[in-house]
Amino acid sequence: MDDILLYFAPFTIPFVVGTLFLFIAVGVKWVLWLMRLPRVDKLLIRRGIFTRQTLIAVWEVIRESLLHVRIFKHNPVLGYMHASLAFGWFLLIAVGWIETTVYLGADFVPLQGHVFFKYFAPHLALQEHYAVFEQLMDALLLIVLSGVMLAWFKRLRSKALGMRRTTKHVLFDRIALSALWFVFPARLVAESLTVAVYGGGGFLTGSIGGWLAEVVPADVLAMVYEPAWWFYSCALGVFFVAMPFSRYMHILTEIPLIFLRRWSLRPNKERRSYDNFEVEACSRCGICIDPCQLQADLGLNDTQSVYFLRDRRYNMLSLKIANNCLMCGRCEAKCPVGINLNTLRLNSRAKRRNIPHEGRYRYLQGIDRSSGMGKVGYFAGCMTSLTPAVQRSMERIFEAAGEEVWYADRDGGVCCGRPLMLSGETDAARKMMESNRALFRKHEITTLVTSCPICLKVFKEEYHLEGVEVLHHTEYIDRLIAEGRITPKSDNTAYTYHDPCELGRGCGIYDAPRRVIGAVGKLAEPKHTRRDALCCGSSLANTVINDGQQLRIAQRMTAELEATGCDTIVTACPLCNKAIARAATRPARDIAEIVAKNIE
Amino acid sequence: MRNINFGYGISRPRVINMDNNDLRKSNAIIAEMPELQACIGCGSCTASCTAGNLTDFNFRKLHTSVRRGEYKGAYEELSKCMLCGKCRLVCPRGINTRGLVMLIKRKLGDF
Ligand code: SF4
Ligand code: SF4
Ligand code: SF4
Ligand code: SF4
Repeated sequence: MDDILLYFAPFTIPFVVGTLFLFIAVGVKWVLWLMRLPRVDKLLIRRGIFTRQTLIAVWEVIRESLLHVRIFKHNPVLGYMHASLAFGWFLLIAVGWIETTVYLGADFVPLQGHVFFKYFAPHLALQEHYAVFEQLMDALLLIVLSGVMLAWFKRLRSKALGMRRTTKHVLFDRIALSALWFVFPARLVAESLTVAVYGGGGFLTGSIGGWLAEVVPADVLAMVYEPAWWFYSCALGVFFVAMPFSRYMHILTEIPLIFLRRWSLRPNKERRSYDNFEVEACSRCGICIDPCQLQADLGLNDTQSVYFLRDRRYNMLSLKIANNCLMCGRCEAKCPVGINLNTLRLNSRAKRRNIPHEGRYRYLQGIDRSSGMGKVGYFAGCMTSLTPAVQRSMERIFEAAGEEVWYADRDGGVCCGRPLMLSGETDAARKMMESNRALFRKHEITTLVTSCPICLKVFKEEYHLEGVEVLHHTEYIDRLIAEGRITPKSDNTAYTYHDPCELGRGCGIYDAPRRVIGAVGKLAEPKHTRRDALCCGSSLANTVINDGQQLRIAQRMTAELEATGCDTIVTACPLCNKAIARAATRPARDIAEIVAKNIE
Repeated sequence: MRNINFGYGISRPRVINMDNNDLRKSNAIIAEMPELQACIGCGSCTASCTAGNLTDFNFRKLHTSVRRGEYKGAYEELSKCMLCGKCRLVCPRGINTRGLVMLIKRKLGDF
């Protein structure tokens, strides 16, 4: 049989060159990224590699990189599109490999021999059992083709796949995308023509080939047969060459990313080499576009995570795009690749002048305007000082519970540092954090209650307050009620609750506020709630949008809250409160206020 | 009773000769944030300021001077701002004051 199988034909050259290029380019990228990892990250890899996590990662690669289970859960049609392309193609390669091995034994066959098997071994069609492979390969090809059709359809009409918007692409994407669209139809044509000339074929290529043999004269068939294989090989070659520079790099990047993540590597406030894996793992699926209120409410179409990652990847990220994000986390919650979008956005803001000059914030030294005594500390936060009703309500609650409280900033204090951190000045922010931290230590508190979710998040993540329990006031009040230390009376007021981004998606606190509201009245949930809750638009993370734009976002989300028919809107963040209050037609209250009001 | 600092004070009378001031940077700042021209100088930003509560940092005075082309010391002074965002919430003209702090620092500093 060997005499009929010469694995070389000129048309295979584009494919072989493309494949080699792909392997080298991807190899170079991976090696560079891994080499540039800081020592701590390398240590994490060394610690993680021989643990169970590696096996879990293998399983996750199968689930996510091949089957795309998460996209499937988000949207079955879109999931099918990704899975049919990825898994279908994978099986085509795998079954193709088995096919060649079965018929040629375990002898070495060069890559193009596997891929263009039908060209090199058309006579196998006459062999026994071969029909099984023919049918199987045809079925797989059909599945992949259906995915390609969906992709075409998605370009034309994204709504059909449950997406309002689909991503705009860069040049390399267009090249790769066009090539990819042609790969499988070209394969179908080439194989069908081969069948038309030599016979055989499964239900798909067989029928098309048979039909071609009938209607097309034999000399024409012989003439277009070779060019058809050329076209298929070129489409593959072009795709492979464009791939490392296009969105399709995500196919190969997601695999190492899954492993690295299982070995507990994470992006950080400072840019690191690991970020490359996250940035290039973005498939530009565009799922993050629709949840973004900057898109939905303001019609901004260049700042969503998909564009931000694209710009960052190609080194064309502008300061404006980096800064124009609420960091609400709505997109991150939906991203099927699980990219840490907020952290990447944050570390893109780090400025060249991040290192503060020595004298910066020297005035913070020794500042202590605290008052009161007690093991429980209350840090109202800057924003709370603009909503004195919240502060008063908390004092009322502390008093009712008989709690001795140390007030950290009743007469003015130092900002928690998170706003400055959000603008990229992490090192300067640290000076503020140290000042507050020293204050907490000096007064030896064991519990720290704050009314501001922005402060809460930074206390939890950056302050390292070992031995001090950090609580949001909703958690604290929830605890007081559970322990029977306060017993607010319940009335029939209808409340609806707005989940502040920093409290909900930021700190994972969803239930405590709901229990507290349930204890004083009735709670109705708005359309978007919990992990899916909308942002109030006033987020400190965004320094680009103007007042009118903030207001528009607030109006849209407040309208949704009011659609529940509530009497009072409740939230648990002074900043959200302010944003809602100016857009609402009914009262907006902090949770502390409604509790304090209902204490005897 | 302790003296309550509302953030207001009396500045020494000064004469600004606009002909001597180089307004290029000021113009660039206003071009990027035209809403700054809507400032009525009410001083609410200064009154609510977290940093102003702890130091003599005066945001209104600062951005007004910068607008008039007086940049001396403005960058260093603005480094006292904590970017906490209270001023933005109280500004009756809805000026993006946090963005302004960053903008002025970017134009006057070297990043
Ligand atoms: S960031 Fe996530 S959701 Fe957005 S396009 Fe990339 S992979 Fe899709
Ligand atoms: S974090 Fe929020 S504002 Fe930023 S891109 Fe995502 S959805 Fe849009
Ligand atoms: S609060 Fe607004 S209008 Fe008033 S001085 Fe400050 S920036 Fe100007
Ligand atoms: S952001 Fe700066 S200027 Fe504005 S109130 Fe806070 S410290 Fe003052």
